[in-house]
Amino acid sequence: MSERFQYPQDREVYSAAKVKALESLLIEKGIITSETVDKVLNYFEKEMGPFNGAKLVAKAWVDPEFKARLLKDTPSAIAEMNFPRGMTGAEGENMEAVANTPTVHNLIVCTLCSCYPWPILGLPPYWYKDPTFRARAIREPRKILQEFGLTFNDDVEIRVWDSSAQIRWFVIPERPAGTEGMSEAQLATLVTPESMMGSAKAKSSPSF
Amino acid sequence: MKLQHNLGGLEGLGPVDFEKRVFVEPWETRIFGIHVAMMALSQHLKEAIPKYPIDQVPTSFKSTWTWADLRKGAEAMHPFDYFKYRYYEKWLGGISAFFVSQGYISQEELVAKTSAYLKEKGSIPESRNEPIDNQIIEYLRVGDPGERELAGEPKFSKNDTIRVKNVPPVDHTRLPGHLRGKTGIVDKVYSGFYVYFCSTGPDGLGEPMPVYRVRFDPKEIWGELAEEKSVVYADLYETYLES
Repeated sequence: MSERFQYPQDREVYSAAKVKALESLLIEKGIITSETVDKVLNYFEKEMGPFNGAKLVAKAWVDPEFKARLLKDTPSAIAEMNFPRGMTGAEGENMEAVANTPTVHNLIVCTLCSCYPWPILGLPPYWYKDPTFRARAIREPRKILQEFGLTFNDDVEIRVWDSSAQIRWFVIPERPAGTEGMSEAQLATLVTPESMMGSAKAKSSPSF
Repeated sequence: MKLQHNLGGLEGLGPVDFEKRVFVEPWETRIFGIHVAMMALSQHLKEAIPKYPIDQVPTSFKSTWTWADLRKGAEAMHPFDYFKYRYYEKWLGGISAFFVSQGYISQEELVAKTSAYLKEKGSIPESRNEPIDNQIIEYLRVGDPGERELAGEPKFSKNDTIRVKNVPPVDHTRLPGHLRGKTGIVDKVYSGFYVYFCSTGPDGLGEPMPVYRVRFDPKEIWGELAEEKSVVYADLYETYLES
């Protein structure tokens, strides 16, 4: 039993060699090409990532009617923007937005795995995929958020959304105070992926 | 009963590692790309929305591979290994085993090539085939929506009180275990009927059915361990609910 708790000494080196071996074999056997994996990664680096979500939130902040449309019919509002083709693609087929307010804070979790709104936020960070987060956030969201540096008054309701079926939830964070007069592009730099899953607030000023 | 289906509410786990990176090792990006390719080349897409022209894609991959297959692999693990191994380590284990079990590669070849790459940093072989990569990117752009034609009427309406069924535990589920037997209120009836990627047998998923957004009072789920002023929402397939 105690062997179960030991890691191989060359854990990462071994995994790197194994995945390289797998990729090579799959290419040799004609399953994928030598460009496949890089093309997939490039798609998420250039086209589907948190930069999309940041633009979406910035627009919602400056245009209250757009924000209302985004909450009422998320896919239609997203379609109004000039995003690349694919916003209803893989893991974006059923995206839904919820908004934070002074009295409501939303936190997204997938207790069963790691369901995440790919087109608007790209790929999930490790904290979201962590079984510890998944197990704890559904029961003690306020405590988890405190550990993440967020404290809420007793009058704030915490809503936890478990992505257990087809919906891919994300959060429109509150617009930070003191950002009046910022352009949409500047506002977008304040929006982090964490703020769009509810584990952080938007930044109050651009980091340098 | 599987730990992986019952993580919600597990205690004693300590603080969350607030790691913001998607990949913590460069090699992890490769297994991610391979998983996406498998889903994009999967036979089941012939019957998806849209019906992808999979038979015209010149790949030697002739299997079905969906999120359900990846999840089943992770849910089949020894529960301690599920916590021990990182996210993409689980993917690498499950996906390699799949390719071996389906006969695309042999365990011997995989071991031999892994040893070879451990000894020498070679490069991967070169091989181009645009139609394969085009299908993969098209899948990313178009997706695989679960919505199907209406096949009847939803059993429940908004504001109905429902109870979550205690369905037989099987190898795979989309029912978070902490909700079994709990009472909630239907907050929304999603329009449309939804399939799941596979049948889960006695668990009930597979055929097109309604899905509901259900609101739970955390005290109903966790009793006195619930936090004040909080609400839990879960999206649940109709097969998991009863009046």
